[in-house]
Amino acid sequence: MSLFTKYGQLIALLALALFTTTLHASGPLRIAAASDLRYALNDIVDLYREARPEANIEVIYGSSGKMTTQIINGAPYDVFFSADISFPEKLQAEGLTTTEPSVYAIGRIVIWSNTLDAASLTLEDLASDAITRIAIAQPDHAPYGLRAKEAMQAAGVWEAVQSKMVFGENIAHTAQMTESGAAQVGIIALSLASFPELATHNHHLIDNALHNPLTQGYVVTRRGGQKSEAMAFAEFMATEQAHNVMTRYGFVIPE
Amino acid sequence: MFTLGPAEWQAIEVTFRLCLYTTLILLVLATPLAWWLANGRSHSRVVVQAVVALPLVLPPTVLGFYLLLALGPRGVVGKTLEDLGFHHLAFTFEGILIASVIYSMPFAVQPLTEAFKNLGRRPVEVASSLGAGALDRFRTVILPLTRGGFVVAATLTFAHTLGEFGVILMLGGSIPGETKVLSVLIYDHAEGMNYAAAHSLSLMLLIFAFVTLFVVYSITRRFRVANL
Amino acid sequence: MTIHVKARLRLGDDFELKVDHELPLEGVTGLFGRSGCGKTTLLRLIAGLERVKGASVRFGDQAWQQGRRFVPLHQRRIGLVFQEHSLLPHLSVQDNLLYGYRRTPAALRRLHPAEVTAMLGIDDLLSRRIDQLSGGQRQRVSLGRALLISPQLLLLDEPMAALDTQTKREIMPFLGRMATESGVPIIMVSHSPDEIGRLADRVVFMQAGQIQRIETLHESLARPDSPLFEDSGAVSVLEGSLGDVEEDGVRPFGPPEARLWVPSVEQPPANHCRRLRILARDVSLSLVSPEHISIQNHLQVTIERIDPPKANRCVVACRTRDHQLLLAEITSRAMRQLQLETGKPVYALIKSIALLK
Repeated sequence: MSLFTKYGQLIALLALALFTTTLHASGPLRIAAASDLRYALNDIVDLYREARPEANIEVIYGSSGKMTTQIINGAPYDVFFSADISFPEKLQAEGLTTTEPSVYAIGRIVIWSNTLDAASLTLEDLASDAITRIAIAQPDHAPYGLRAKEAMQAAGVWEAVQSKMVFGENIAHTAQMTESGAAQVGIIALSLASFPELATHNHHLIDNALHNPLTQGYVVTRRGGQKSEAMAFAEFMATEQAHNVMTRYGFVIPE
Repeated sequence: MFTLGPAEWQAIEVTFRLCLYTTLILLVLATPLAWWLANGRSHSRVVVQAVVALPLVLPPTVLGFYLLLALGPRGVVGKTLEDLGFHHLAFTFEGILIASVIYSMPFAVQPLTEAFKNLGRRPVEVASSLGAGALDRFRTVILPLTRGGFVVAATLTFAHTLGEFGVILMLGGSIPGETKVLSVLIYDHAEGMNYAAAHSLSLMLLIFAFVTLFVVYSITRRFRVANL
Repeated sequence: MTIHVKARLRLGDDFELKVDHELPLEGVTGLFGRSGCGKTTLLRLIAGLERVKGASVRFGDQAWQQGRRFVPLHQRRIGLVFQEHSLLPHLSVQDNLLYGYRRTPAALRRLHPAEVTAMLGIDDLLSRRIDQLSGGQRQRVSLGRALLISPQLLLLDEPMAALDTQTKREIMPFLGRMATESGVPIIMVSHSPDEIGRLADRVVFMQAGQIQRIETLHESLARPDSPLFEDSGAVSVLEGSLGDVEEDGVRPFGPPEARLWVPSVEQPPANHCRRLRILARDVSLSLVSPEHISIQNHLQVTIERIDPPKANRCVVACRTRDHQLLLAEITSRAMRQLQLETGKPVYALIKSIALLK
């Protein structure tokens, strides 16, 4: 019996050690961002650090839908830049936000390829037999994937391309799948196609009349509300400097 | 080739810490459990054995999903902790530590159960008749005679935790310094098309995993001979 | 000193262990029965290796198990020796021997390493590794290790079952010495009438989970239906003192009025208490004093009992001059021709003798 009590004590001690470390507070500013921002936001954070060298910022990229689920389940993110404003709105409805969701950019999608000249490709061409694999982001939880699907539906090729679709976990994953050649063609964010390494290949900008707008919204979470840095960074996103970067990556800044 | 920046070092530190804690906790938990599985007579043993082995066959996402639900602020565990004034455990180091402990459980329990079965009850009965109490028996008889099992259990647990990805991705949220382990960082690098960094880390893990397994297999061979 | 055991426990589909007995504990008590009769389980129950609900085990005035009270084995001070060798393989012979000695409070130590190793003839083995020992040596070290906790009780579970005949012969004298010299009561499980005959002072007969009978070895050997006769027919065990080797290489055994001559064997020194084991079929009877005959051992005896014949052979129980029982097995025809009857003095001719301990 004494062995069991000793074990019990040991386990209790371990548990205690666990929870005491859980109590550490605040820490760095954590930004959750949609994958289309991967390169643009890195540049903006660099600019922000130039202005405030002491800032401690971590950016975590993923699909907007997945990050929304994570925040609902308690993920410690302070600011959330979504590829679609519906996700911040959902968080607001759950009472997990400090600020009103607001639009920071409008995204665009493009056809891009590592092997073909995408500039000469149209959505209709995707149905041709010459193209065997097309990558888009998972429409269920990645806004860029949903818009790509809408565009293909509007172009009337969605049914025809079904058998050659592959789905990336998020839009950056989709771009990587296309870049690696695993998929011949990808429908990705203009912001990613504008990244220097991908920009060496041409792209075809998809008419934004073919899909719902990619209204990208951000929100400061309930957790971020306690950090002045969160509000400061949100304000920085509205500056000329940040807008310039966003525009360079192909985002449209709303009036 | 090996260009490790601060982000890489941070991930290495988190990974190493996770592997180490998981191994230590599991050795403490798995020892009595494995003893019971090897020597107990209760019929519930089979059930427990099946439960312990579940992570071997379940997709990591299943475990990650349920843990996320349980440990998050709305889950049973997470909510209770919050009510008690603690922080919930989703997206924390402690959260992925719990996940790793569960996920690597079979890798600690099975070699130990096997070692204890091979040991049999006899040496323990003998030591008992010679006046050794439970802890004394563990220290002077069980431990020295099943050393090989403990080394294998520890190494496999450590190595398996190192290779963990799905559960941590679901439950950890890839937070630098907290839940961003090497496997997640590699995924991140690959997604960001930062292939050079993905390469150096992957190669490092590959070599480490090989060395670990090599050590495990040499040990199992050596101890099987020595233990006769 | 006695031990009282009361327990009920299902052993298999068809039978259960059911005991409620007081076993006397002096010298060696043999627990005899066929394999599977529950004798090992009874031993484990006494040791506390088997925790049976509702059982009670009382050793002298110590309650080892009673109601909710359960003294674990490591506090019972019981020496255990198992059938197969059970030395701890990671320790040397010396460390095996001292494992229990070191854990025995100094005040309770009655037996010490030097005397025990001398008694068991293992002085030269102390620095060896376990895998450098022969089967018999291992078992002797096991015995020594058990003795060195100065146990209140020694439990031997078929200690010789796994040994070959040669090794058994080698170890038997040590067991015998241990029983007489250590002063520790011994319970020995065995299914071999030979071992019981050689070592036991008292026999507990078990069958199908129950204790059938508790009696002294001599009582059990005086019964015509003794289970100890199942293997090789009726057997007698004679006790007496063994003298030193005389010319022609023989040694005298027993008092002058019942003197036997035993072939010289090197090991056992002269001793006052030895046993001879004589198979009844190796004993013939004669009405006249046998002379001019190669058989060396003949004793004057009186017929005490004649058992009914079985398959034309019958066992004749004779009393020697030193009042011990000697059994002879002869044909019904011979008995009729010699007109044997109880009370008749005859000569017993003994063809072969086994010196036991």
